[in-house]
Amino acid sequence: MKKQRIALLGAALATAVALAACGSGGGSGSSAGAAPDANAVVQVGSLYEPQNLDNTGGGGQGVTEAFNGNVYEGLFRLTDDGKVEPLLAASNTVSADGLTYTFTLRDGVKFHSGKALTSADVKYSIEKVLAPDSKSARKSSFPEIKSITTPDARTVTVTLAARSISFVYNLSYVWIVNDQAGNLAAKEDGTGPYTLDGWKRGSSLTLKKNPSYWGTPAKNAGVVFHYFTDGSALDNALLTNAVDVVTSEQNPDALAQFTDNPAYKVNDGHSNTKLLLAFNDKVAPFNDVKVRKAVSSAIDDKKLLQSIWGDHGSLIGSMVPPTDPWYTDLTGVNAYDVNAAKALLAEAGHPNGFTFTLDTPNYDPHPTVAAFVKSELAKVGITVNINVITPDQWYTKVYQNKDFTATLQEHVNDRDVVWYGDPNFYWGYDNPQVTAWIKQAEQAGSEAEQTELLKKANQQIAADAASDWLYLYPQIVVASTKLSGYPVNGLNSQFYAYGITKG
Amino acid sequence: MRRRVFLVTGIVLVALVLAVALVSLFWTPFPAADTTGGRLEGPGAHHLLGTDKLGRDLLTRLMIGARIAVAVGLGAVALGAVLGGLAGLLAGFANRWLDDTLAALLDILIAFPTLLLAMLVVAARGASLASAIVAIGLAMSAIVARLTRVLVKRVLAMDYVTAARTSGVSWPRIVTAHVLPNIWPTLAVNLALQFGLAVLAEASLSYLGLGPPPPNASWGRLLQEAQSTVLTAPTGAIAPGVLLVVLVVGVNLLADGLRDVADPTRRGHR
Amino acid sequence: MTRYLVRRAALLVGTLLLASVVLFLLLRLLPGDPANALLSVGATPDQVAAARHQIGTDRPLPAQFGHWLSQLATLHFGDSFVSSLPVGPEIVSRLSVTVPLTLAAFVLAVVVAVPVGFLAAHRAHTWYGALAGLVSQLGIAVPAFWLGLLLVWVFALNLRVLPAGGFPPDGWSSFPDAFRALVLPVVTVAVVMAASLIRYVRSATLDVLGSDHLRTARALGSSFPGAMWRHGVRNAAVPVVSVLGIELATTFLGAVVIESVFALPGLGSMLVRGIAQHDYPVIQGVLFVSTLAVLVVGFLADIAQRLIDPRLRGGIAR
Repeated sequence: MKKQRIALLGAALATAVALAACGSGGGSGSSAGAAPDANAVVQVGSLYEPQNLDNTGGGGQGVTEAFNGNVYEGLFRLTDDGKVEPLLAASNTVSADGLTYTFTLRDGVKFHSGKALTSADVKYSIEKVLAPDSKSARKSSFPEIKSITTPDARTVTVTLAARSISFVYNLSYVWIVNDQAGNLAAKEDGTGPYTLDGWKRGSSLTLKKNPSYWGTPAKNAGVVFHYFTDGSALDNALLTNAVDVVTSEQNPDALAQFTDNPAYKVNDGHSNTKLLLAFNDKVAPFNDVKVRKAVSSAIDDKKLLQSIWGDHGSLIGSMVPPTDPWYTDLTGVNAYDVNAAKALLAEAGHPNGFTFTLDTPNYDPHPTVAAFVKSELAKVGITVNINVITPDQWYTKVYQNKDFTATLQEHVNDRDVVWYGDPNFYWGYDNPQVTAWIKQAEQAGSEAEQTELLKKANQQIAADAASDWLYLYPQIVVASTKLSGYPVNGLNSQFYAYGITKG
Repeated sequence: MRRRVFLVTGIVLVALVLAVALVSLFWTPFPAADTTGGRLEGPGAHHLLGTDKLGRDLLTRLMIGARIAVAVGLGAVALGAVLGGLAGLLAGFANRWLDDTLAALLDILIAFPTLLLAMLVVAARGASLASAIVAIGLAMSAIVARLTRVLVKRVLAMDYVTAARTSGVSWPRIVTAHVLPNIWPTLAVNLALQFGLAVLAEASLSYLGLGPPPPNASWGRLLQEAQSTVLTAPTGAIAPGVLLVVLVVGVNLLADGLRDVADPTRRGHR
Repeated sequence: MTRYLVRRAALLVGTLLLASVVLFLLLRLLPGDPANALLSVGATPDQVAAARHQIGTDRPLPAQFGHWLSQLATLHFGDSFVSSLPVGPEIVSRLSVTVPLTLAAFVLAVVVAVPVGFLAAHRAHTWYGALAGLVSQLGIAVPAFWLGLLLVWVFALNLRVLPAGGFPPDGWSSFPDAFRALVLPVVTVAVVMAASLIRYVRSATLDVLGSDHLRTARALGSSFPGAMWRHGVRNAAVPVVSVLGIELATTFLGAVVIESVFALPGLGSMLVRGIAQHDYPVIQGVLFVSTLAVLVVGFLADIAQRLIDPRLRGGIAR
C-alpha cells in the first residue's frame, strides 16, 4: 500500500506547492578536493512518483517535483526566499486599474522539439490550466480571466475580471508547453534545461541535459529520480549509495544514522506542511468555540511533535507558517493547559466531557497522532473513537460530503490560510469578517495591504480555534556530502536539479 | 517419540500465546493508552521491553497484539470452516455440471491471493478487526471448500458409502454418519494450518496499514512502526516477529502432531 | 487424451470468461467514485458529471462490461482513469520484473524443497532430517515481509553486498544490475515458498514410503532406489505437481508485500496502487492477466498430472 502523502485532496490533487524553492540554496558542503564532474548523473530518491507527466492532467506532486524548472518553465520562477522573478517573460507591465497584464517573452527560447516559443504557446498553456477538464490544483487559485490576446509573437496580454494580487505568483506554476504538442501524459515538450530520457513506471524517471538550452546549462549530465513507496526503503537506498539525495525525508527516526555519519549532510529547510486536527465547525459539539478551544488546549502539541519528529519541525498556533509575510507568532493562543481546558469544557456544558469520532487517514503519521490525541483528551474526560479511513474515503466522506465530526489531515499547500475565507470549505468555518478580510486581501492594491489583512484573518481564526494546528512539518533534505547545489526548501514539491554538482 | 515431542512443543507454544492473550484482557503492565513513558526507551526494569515513539509500553502492546492475532485466527478459521465446508459439501454431492462450475469458481477465487482479496474487502468495508476477519475468512473458505470437495468425493466413492446410498439412506444421514466422521480429521489438521496462515495474513495486512485501527496495534503494525527505528530501538522490530513465529510454529507443530495421531499408518514408519 | 485436452481447454476458456464477469462485478461493489480522484478543489456537480463521462462510469454497467470485453478481444486493456495512459504496455513492462522474480523463486524453491523434503521424510530419524523439518517449520511461520527486512538489514545495510531495493532505470538492458536487484527478493520469496513445499514433499514421500506396493516391491528384491523410482516418485509427484501449480500461481501476485519491501516495479505494486486509486482499468487489467496466468498454470499442472499418473485419465474436474 502506498504510504503516499496526500495533499489536501487525494493523491491526484496533491500538487503540493512550494513557497520557497531554489536551486542555489543548499548543500554547501562539497567534499574537499574533489572537482565537480560535469558528466556525473545525479541519483535522486523520492516518495512521490508522478501519476502521469501532465500537471494539468492529474500528474500530481511527483511531476511537479521532477519537471518544474527542470523540464518545463513558466513565465516566472519562485526563488529561494519566495520572491517571484521573470523566467520566460523578459518583462511585464500592469495597467493602473490592476486588471490588464502585458508580458513580453524572452528571445531565442526553443522547445525540446525544436519549435521556437511564441505568444500562442503561452496563451495555450494558460488556457490549458483553466480548461474545464483541467485537473490542475492551481486552477481554483486563479482569478477570473476575461481574455488573453496575442498582439504579436512575443507579446501576451491578459485581462482579469477583478484585481488579483497573487496573479503573477500563480503564473509561476503555469508550465509553458508547445501548443502543438498534443497529449502530454506520457511525453514532454518543454523549454527547460533537461529533456525526458525515459520513465519506468513504478520505479524511475530519467532526465538528461538539454544541449541546446537557452539559458545557463545544467551543471550535471542528467538526473534520475528513483521512486519508493516506503520511507525506510528510501533511506536504505541512500545508505547503500543507490541514491545521492532524498528530496524529503519522512522518517525522523532514521535521521540519526545520517547525522552521525560524515558521508551525509542533513539539511533543515522550510516547510509548508501543517498537520491539522480539523473540527467540523458546523456540527455539535465543535460548533461551540469554547469546545474547540478546550480541545486545542488539552493537547500537548510539543510532546506530540517531539514524539513524531524528535528535534525537528516546529509549533504553529495557526495556519500560517513563519515563511509567509503575514506570519505572526500565535503559539500562545490556546496553548497547552489542561486546567483551562477543563474549565472551558465545564463552561460549555460538558463538565464530564463527551465522545466523538475522529476520522483518521490510514497512512503515517495520522494513526499514531490519533492514538496520541485519544490519550491526551482522555485526561479531560473526552472519549475519542478512532475511525481509520482510506484517502479515497477521506475525500468522499470528509471533504466532499462533510460527514464528519473531526478529522486529521496534513495540508501541504502554500498560502492556504485563504481557505478559512470559504464558508463552504470542508471544515465549515464561517466568520463573515474573516471571509471579507480574505476577499479584500486578494484584491488589495499593495502587498502591505494584503499582508495586513491576512494577518488579521490569521489571528482571528486562531482566536476562534477554527482548527487545531498541531505542528508544522520539517522539510529535511538528506544528501551525500559529494553533492552540492541542491535545493533544501523544496517543500515537497519543486526540486530544481540543474545547479547540482557531484564531486 | 520425536513426533510426541513436536506435539507437546506445539501445545506449549500455542498455550503460551493464548495465555498472554487471555491475561491481556484483565491485566497489562500499563494501560493501553498510557503515554507516560519516555520516547523509545530501551528495555529496563520499569518498561521490560522498552517503549515506542509515543512512550507506550512495548510489552503492553505486544500482549494486546496477541489478543488480536488469536481473535483473527479463530474468527477467520470459524468463518472459513463454515462457509468453505458448506460449499465443499455442496460441490461434493452435486451433479457433474454444478460440480464443474463450482470447481471453476473456486479456482478463480483461489487465483486471487488472500492478501488481495483482503485488500478489496477492506477497501469496501473500511479497516477494522471485523474486516480483517471477514477478508481472511472469505479467502480461506475457497481453500477449505476445495479441500472439502475432494475429501467428500473420496468418501462417497468408498464401497460401503456407495452401498448405503444405493440402499436409500437419506443424504443428511450419509453426511453425519459417513462423510463428516471421515473427513473431519484431515479437515481439522488443515484448519489448524489455516489458523497459522490467517495470523500471517493479518500481519501482512496490518503491515500495509489495513488492519485493526489504532490504538490497538497488531503485531504486523508494530513491525511496520518499528521498521524506521530498527537501529535505535531494535527490540520493537524483533519482538513482534518472534512472537508471530512462535504462534505459527506452535500451531503448525500442533497440526502435524494431531495428524500423526489421527493417521496411524504414518506412525509405524520411523 | 486429445479428447481430454479439448475439454480441458474449453473449460479453461469458460473459466476465463466467468472470471472476467466475476472480476468486473466484484470491482463495481467497491464504494467510492473513481471520478473523485480526478477532481480538484471545489469541483462543481457539473465537473463531477463531466469527469464521470470522461472515464465512462456514467454509462450503464452492461455497456461498460461490453466495452471492456470488446477491448479484451483486441488485446487492449483500456486507459487508466487516473493517468489516462494505456494499461497494456505498463502491464507488459511490469511483467518483465514479476515473471523473472516468480519463476526464479519457484525454481530455487523446487530445487531446495524436493531433496530437503525427501530427507525430512526418509531420514527423519537423523539430525539432518530433523533439521530439515525444523527449518521448514520456521520458514512457514516467518512473515515474508519480516524476512525481507532482515535480509536487507544483513546483506544490504551491513555487508553491503547487494542492493537494498529498486530496479535499474533501463531494466534488463543493464543485466548485472537487474540481476543483483532481484537476488534478495527471489531468496525471500523462495524461502517462504520452499518451506511450504518441503511439507508437501515430505508428506507425499511419507505416503509413498508407507504404501503397500513399495513395500511389496522391496520384499520382492528391488533395490530401494529402483523401487522408489518406479513406484514412489510417480505416486508422490502427483499431489506435489498440483501443489506446485497453486504455489506458482499465488506467488505471481502474492509478492505484493515483497515488491513493496524491495521497491520493485512489479505487477503487485501496480495492483495495489490501482486499488488505492479506484483505477478500474488498471485493477481489471492486472487481475485479468494474473487470472489468465493462474488458469494456464493450472491447466498445465493438470496435464502434467495426467501424463504422470494414467489412473487420473477419467473425470475432468479432479
